[in-house]
This record gives sequence, C-alpha cells and structure tokens, in this order.
Amino acid sequence: MEIKLDVSMLEPCEPLERTLEAVQQLTPGDYLHVLHRREPHLLYPLLEKTGCAWRCIEQQADQYAIYIWRENDHLAAQAAAAHFLN
Amino acid sequence: MLNPASLSLDQAPPISIPFRFFITAPLFGLAAGLLLVIYGPSLFLTRWSPMTLGLTHLLTLGMLAMVMCGALLQMLPVIAGSPVPAVVAVGTVSHLLITAGTGLLVVAFMTGNATANLLALIMLGSGIGLFFIVIAIALWRVKTVTHTITAMRVALAAFLITLLFGLLLASGFLSSVGFGHIAQLVNVHLGWGVLGWIGLLLIGLSYQVVPMFQVTPEYPERMRRFLAPGLFTLLLVWSVLMLAAAFNLIGSVVPVLIMFLLMPGFIFYAVITLRLQRQRKRRVPDITMQFWRIGMLAILSGAAIWGFGRLFSALATGPQFDLLLGVVLIVGAGLSVVNGMLYKIVPFLSWFHLQNRQLSLMCMTVQVPNMKEFITDKSSRLQFKVYLVSLVLLLAAVIKPAWFAHIAGIVFMFSNLLLLKNLSMAMIRYRKTNQALLAYVVDSEVK
Repeated sequence: MEIKLDVSMLEPCEPLERTLEAVQQLTPGDYLHVLHRREPHLLYPLLEKTGCAWRCIEQQADQYAIYIWRENDHLAAQAAAAHFLN
Repeated sequence: MLNPASLSLDQAPPISIPFRFFITAPLFGLAAGLLLVIYGPSLFLTRWSPMTLGLTHLLTLGMLAMVMCGALLQMLPVIAGSPVPAVVAVGTVSHLLITAGTGLLVVAFMTGNATANLLALIMLGSGIGLFFIVIAIALWRVKTVTHTITAMRVALAAFLITLLFGLLLASGFLSSVGFGHIAQLVNVHLGWGVLGWIGLLLIGLSYQVVPMFQVTPEYPERMRRFLAPGLFTLLLVWSVLMLAAAFNLIGSVVPVLIMFLLMPGFIFYAVITLRLQRQRKRRVPDITMQFWRIGMLAILSGAAIWGFGRLFSALATGPQFDLLLGVVLIVGAGLSVVNGMLYKIVPFLSWFHLQNRQLSLMCMTVQVPNMKEFITDKSSRLQFKVYLVSLVLLLAAVIKPAWFAHIAGIVFMFSNLLLLKNLSMAMIRYRKTNQALLAYVVDSEVK
C-alpha cells in the first residue's frame, strides 16, 4: 500500500525527521511516497542505515518524488517500482 | 545539485572541527566590543588609525573568516561530495594559527610591536595558506561542478589574493623600497577581502542555503551561472587598473568606473534574495531570514552610500564616509548574514550527526532533539534584537562618536555574549545526547 507524505513546504530538518518517522511505521507491503521540493541527498545515508531502498524521480525542477521501501520487502518493492519502471 | 554517488557523512569532519571555528567567532566579537568600550570615540577618527585597523581585523578575520572557514570545511564534503584532505589535522592546526595570528595582528596594530607583527604574519600566512591548499585540492577534485562550487573556487582565490596583499602591506617591504602608494594597495586588499572572499562566497552559499533553509524558490539559472565568475573577473580588472592608477599610467577615475559595473552585481544579488524571501512558500517567522534581510538591506545601503560618495565627491571627503561604509558592509552585511547562518548550521549539524549516530546504533530509546530544541526561537530572537540595536548604535557612533561609541561597544559585547551562550547551549545539548547514545552502546555491550 502506498503511504503518501508531502514534506515540500517544510524547512530542514523536518522533511528528514518526518520521513524517518514514517519509515519506522512501514508495515510489510507498504512503501512510502515522499513529495519534496529538492532531492534529499542527506536522507540517503540515513535510509541506508535503516535498511531501506529508495528511488528518486525528478518530476519538475522543484518537485521530486521519492519512493522508499524496506530492502527485504519484495512486495513493497514491486508496488513502488510500478511508479518508475517503464 | 549534490553529488549523490559520493555523498557520505563519513567524509565530513567530526562536528568538533566546524564547532571550534563557530564558537571562536563570538569570542572575537567580545574582544571587538571591549575595544570599543575602552577606546570609544578614538576608534572612529579615521579608518587609517592602527586601532581602527585592529578593530576591523577582529571583525573580518576573527568573526567573518572564522565562520566562513569552519562552514567550508564542513560543507564541502556534503554539498560537493568532495572530502577535505586531512581535515581533522588541518582544521585543528589552521584554527589555532588563524586564531593566534588574528590576536597577534591586533596586538601589533595597537602597540606597533614588531615581533607581534612578524609572528602574526607567519601564523596567518601559514594558517590561511594551509587552509587554502586543502580546500583548493577538495574543490579541484569535485566531479560535478555546480554554480556554488564555481563561486567557492573564485571566493577561495579571492581569499588568497586578500592574504597576499595583506602580507605584503604588513611586511613593511613596500615602505622599505620607497613605494608611496600604500593607500591604493590597502583598497585592493579591502576590495578582495570584502567583495571577493566574503561577497562571492556569500553569493555561492546562498544558492544552496536560501532555498534549502528558507524554503524559497531557486535563484535564477543565469544568475547562478554568471554572477560570481563575472564579479571575480571585474575585480581582477579593477585591481590591475588600481595598480596602473597607482603608477600614474591611467587616471584614478578609471578603476572607479569598473566599480560602477561591480556594484550592480551585488545590488542584483541582494534584490533577488529579498524577492525570493518574499516568495517564501511557508510563511513562519524565522530569525535567520530576518538576519539575512538586514544583511541584504545593508548591501543595498552600502552600494547607495558608495555611489553617492563617488557621484557627489563633496560628501565623501571626510573620514566618516569610509567608516560608515565599513560599518554598513562589514557589520551590517557580513556579520548579519554570518550570525543568521549560524542559527541554521549549528542546530542542523548537531541534529544530523546525532540522527546518523542514532540510526547507526539503532538506538531508538534515546530521543534526538529537533533543530528548534538546540537553540530556541526565544533565545535567538533576543540576540537578534540586541544585535540590531548594536548595529544602529555603531552607525550612530560613526556620526557622533563621543555620544555612541562606548554604548555601541557595550551592546555589541552583549550581543556576542548572547550568541556565545546560544551556540554553547546547542553544543552542550549535542554533547549530552551524544553521551546518552554512547552510554547505550556501553550498556548493550555489558548486557
């Protein structure tokens, strides 16, 4: 199931905080769809540490979609991939 | 744009490296305030008095360069994905050399002591030289050259030029060979320091910091591409023409004409920054933004004062004109922005380092404070108000030194004391949480 999180109007460190909080709440089959105004490079090393995989898609110059799922959750990975494959 | 491939917190220096630069700045601010309290009006007679030069360097080297150096050491690995070589050793040594060198330089200005002067030159030369080499290596290695990196490169070159002119002037070499155009060279040193090193670095950092921390739209693409390199080129042309004018090869009005091309660049930067801040997506009160707004207005005021002074030269004949310009640009623009930036950088670094450690340890029982908890809005707002009063009093002291110089010093000291307290609070909070996280590791190992 997709969990949507819009952090595009928040100032640092709230987007990172909210995303990490949401990651902790992911249940099997869930993936996170984060909307951000910048590519959150600083999030990536933190996601690695939580055992998550991600994919960032630049939709417009100031609009990014980041899909995050647990590395060992293949169902969530498949569901998230539907957004950026093809 | 950041470089995701090589981005890693492991490449960044330990937090103690940038912190030591940041915490030193208000200490020099306190020293500058103390100088004002003790010597008062005599510091506002002319920009050429040794005491005034000492005060100026407490602000430019002790505060502005100090924070800029700490920020660069920290930010390069993060925003450019390029680690600074031997960052712990270089950060430690260059901080010590720049701190001691600045202190000795001020003593040398005030007492005329030749040994202090020589030691200051050696320490500042080696401290800034060392800093320059490692940052230049890191900037050279950057794979994805963004507009911020380009601005950092030209700003770093400006820092070196400022240093070289400073060393040349302070060495006494010029007077020993009978070179009689010291004033022009001092202006070139000042131009590179204020407009080059501080101005260009500020422009480059703004491209990252303003949209990220103040939630504004991005700076226009063309501006990001051309402004910093364009201003750097104009500064080079201006310097050559200044030297040509010093040797009477051209009229002294020619370099002034180049300055008339340079100033619109800085005006444009300030106007665009103010406009972006007006277009903020999330309109919540923000102290950093207020500091920056004062800084941008000071850039505009400085450009206006300089322009009026050149167009109506009768206005610019007294020593007060240059002093006013100095207070507006160094304190009003430089210190405002640096002070405001500290309120974002210090809490953000503290939060990020702790968050990283927490996730590495998977220790969710220790709560990491959020950014606002490291330095509260109430404390930073109070310091902003005191800082603003000190700026107004410093401007008033230029006009009426006997009335305002001492009180300006007292309020400036108070402002720096509050800044020191606020930064210390953040660092104490960082240390406490870090210790709690480390204690968790020890406990887990014992179990």
